[in-house]
Amino acid sequence: MEISLARSLFSLNLKSIYMIVNRDLNRFWKYRWWLAGLITMNLADLFIFAVLFNRIVNRELIPDYFLFMAPGITAIAAFASAFSIGREVGVEIRRGFTQYLLSLPISRLELAMGRILSGVVRGIIYETPFLILLLILIKIPSTIELVYILVASIFMTLTMSSLSIAISTSTRNFDMQATLRSFTYFILFFISNVFYPEKLIRVRFPGPLYYVASFNPISLTVSLYREIFGISQQYPYTPEYILVFLFLWAISTMALGGYFYIRNLES
Amino acid sequence: MIKFSREDFRQLYLLILYDVRKIFRYKIFILMRVAWFTVQVGFFAYLITAVVGQRFGVQTTYYHFYLLGAYTSILFTITMFRGYEIAQEFEEGVIEYMLSLPIKRRILAIGRILGGSISSFILSLPMFLIVIILLGGFEPIAILSAALSAYLFSVGIVGLSISVVFLLKSGDVTDIAFGIMDSLLVRLSTVFYPAVILLSFLPYYYVGVSNPLSYLADFLRWIFYPSELGKYLIQDDPVKILFFLLGFSISLTSLATIFIERRVEGGGWK
Repeated sequence: MEISLARSLFSLNLKSIYMIVNRDLNRFWKYRWWLAGLITMNLADLFIFAVLFNRIVNRELIPDYFLFMAPGITAIAAFASAFSIGREVGVEIRRGFTQYLLSLPISRLELAMGRILSGVVRGIIYETPFLILLLILIKIPSTIELVYILVASIFMTLTMSSLSIAISTSTRNFDMQATLRSFTYFILFFISNVFYPEKLIRVRFPGPLYYVASFNPISLTVSLYREIFGISQQYPYTPEYILVFLFLWAISTMALGGYFYIRNLES
Repeated sequence: MIKFSREDFRQLYLLILYDVRKIFRYKIFILMRVAWFTVQVGFFAYLITAVVGQRFGVQTTYYHFYLLGAYTSILFTITMFRGYEIAQEFEEGVIEYMLSLPIKRRILAIGRILGGSISSFILSLPMFLIVIILLGGFEPIAILSAALSAYLFSVGIVGLSISVVFLLKSGDVTDIAFGIMDSLLVRLSTVFYPAVILLSFLPYYYVGVSNPLSYLADFLRWIFYPSELGKYLIQDDPVKILFFLLGFSISLTSLATIFIERRVEGGGWK
């Protein structure tokens, strides 16, 4: 089994994966209405909510709420666009489009990898303008820090893309898929450190909820961004540790997403 | 003076029943909304209150302020969902079918607005109860006044969503318009912050003071916490707030009726 998986991984045709990613990316731009809504929401969170809320926050806790929120919104932007691949996979299952995918001269593992990487590419492309905004608003990090940001973004989008594919292929009930995706999105959005500092979560919710809020991939990525951009947070782990945690998330969810996607193709 | 016959009332009743019965299709939708809302008021609201701290009165002041704002925003989102449904009905030809029925256009419009608002309000009831429980016990008259004002708001928002659907006449454009409206109107209102904060950015303030969400949120605050939250209202006089809500509902209902009477004829959806 392990030897067969390793052989499959080594025999992956990168050109096939590229074709799948390219196709999914082209489809991404077709959802211009959805994209316009997402952009509006992200910008409204930053330039309306954060700017206004900054006027009522406790300065001892967060000196500048706008700067505090900016990395959070950046991570949320990447998360939402990477997560969108799951919705498409779900629609394909509903319409029986998977039959067409199976008829292509592409292995199932390549298909699964292609779909997961499509989410990553979507996430990184959509996130880039927000990252540029951070560079303009806060500071330009060193080369190694930029590498850390890129690696963290890749791991986080890998996790989100895989997770959304796993959810969409875990059940054939379309309503249930949509519900589970929305619920996961909402939990990761609110039970994270995007809106509030990690130390506050630790004090107010010292139990298991703290670990959910602190170790979810969004929070880990936001913590790394805040650390690099010098927005005080006093996160207990160094950026290197954060990258290791994100890597573990990425690997485990990729295995899960890949497994469910291939199982669905074969059923 | 418009006169309604007995048959008109019967048709109105049937149209309201049509919208109300659809609630049972949304079991998962309701469960999901309740779950979201519970996380929002149990985790987000609790922590965001701590982020505000005592810059906004005592510790619980912001929590009370936000809970009533959160209910307003969820009622708005649920009610705007009527617009998606009506756009969907256009795609599926249900609206054309309704137009072929021996029902006056005005009755059709009023029936759909009342039906939509009643079902939206019913869908929001679990969230309403959660807020009441979290805020603590209140006088029945306060709860009844809050429910009535929320319903009034819901009527206006259904009118707004129907008007937008009939104005745009496109499923895709309706989707984006609702997405943008939802994002902007919630944030440019007093849901999260009092009117005085909006005043620090005049363009935001002007949107905020003409935004129905601000009026419902602040009216609910005045009903439940007149002394604690009364100083943060968008208008000093709560009667003015109530009149705004009333005017908003009547004008948007009239607008939606005009759209259904005039824009739906001889053109169809696309």
